[in-house]
Amino acid sequence: MGSMEIVERLNEETEVEKEKILSESRAKAEDMLKQSEKEIELQKQQFIEAEDEKGLENKKRIVRAARLNTKKLRWNAEEELIKKALEEAVKRIAVVKDEGFKGTDYSSILAGLIKDAAVSIIAGGSVTSTELEVVINAEDESYVNPDMLKEIATEVGDGGTIVDLSLAEERIKSLGGVLVRRKDGKIMVDNTFEQRMERFYTDLREVIVKELFKAEEYKG
Amino acid sequence: MAVEALKLIREKEEESRRILEEARVKAAEILKDAEKEIKRRKENAEKDKESLASEISDKYTKEGDKEAKAIEEAVRAEVENLKASADSNFDTAVMLVLERILGLG
Repeated sequence: MGSMEIVERLNEETEVEKEKILSESRAKAEDMLKQSEKEIELQKQQFIEAEDEKGLENKKRIVRAARLNTKKLRWNAEEELIKKALEEAVKRIAVVKDEGFKGTDYSSILAGLIKDAAVSIIAGGSVTSTELEVVINAEDESYVNPDMLKEIATEVGDGGTIVDLSLAEERIKSLGGVLVRRKDGKIMVDNTFEQRMERFYTDLREVIVKELFKAEEYKG
Repeated sequence: MAVEALKLIREKEEESRRILEEARVKAAEILKDAEKEIKRRKENAEKDKESLASEISDKYTKEGDKEAKAIEEAVRAEVENLKASADSNFDTAVMLVLERILGLG
């Protein structure tokens, strides 16, 4: 082989080796970039998934808060209407005193309340005779009289107990109704309207809700 | 003549070594540039995360607000119906309450 041929061969081999070094490097760089791009994309997807989850949770929280608010809104509206109905009932007591209620005059209504209270007191004790007194407000004096009390006493004492029923001198502050107590003060039944409203509050609410919202499906 | 040829070959070998050394340096630069590019892309991706998070959060907040508004509007309408229905039954409800307070119910 002549020297020129050797030189020629050296040139070729060098060129081949040089291209190999560069192309391997380029291929490795390309591979690194591709791998990195994949990693970046994967991380991005994971990030989006995590943020989606957070966002969805936030959306649910907003909707939950709205549902709670609307529940309050509905509840407030119902409470307002219940309160209004109770207030109106209280206002109408004055009319009942003048005009009676569904054909029953106020005097008879008081008689019924006195009788109920007396029966409860008698049922609570095991005595053969009892002295009871009726306490009312000053405004209702004209609706209660001794004959009426005597009649009630006879009725409630029908089971064998001798009942003495009288009107107390004491007057109470109330919308109306009666308070009946044993004269020794040991047993008392408060049938004033305020106390009855308080005692029957749950039942009254139920009655109002059932009647007011009967056209609606009650969701309270 | 043989000495001249030998000299030429040695020079060529020396040149080959230099060329290959330069190629290796160039190859190292290519890899270094690739690493720099990867670093730049990662930094950009990190920067993008902030706006991406904000974009996703805004999307769900808007959806939530829209749904919440629809719920509120529906319930407001329902409450109005409730009030209208209550108005027509109000008097009966009051009478029933009175009946119980007065001890007639």
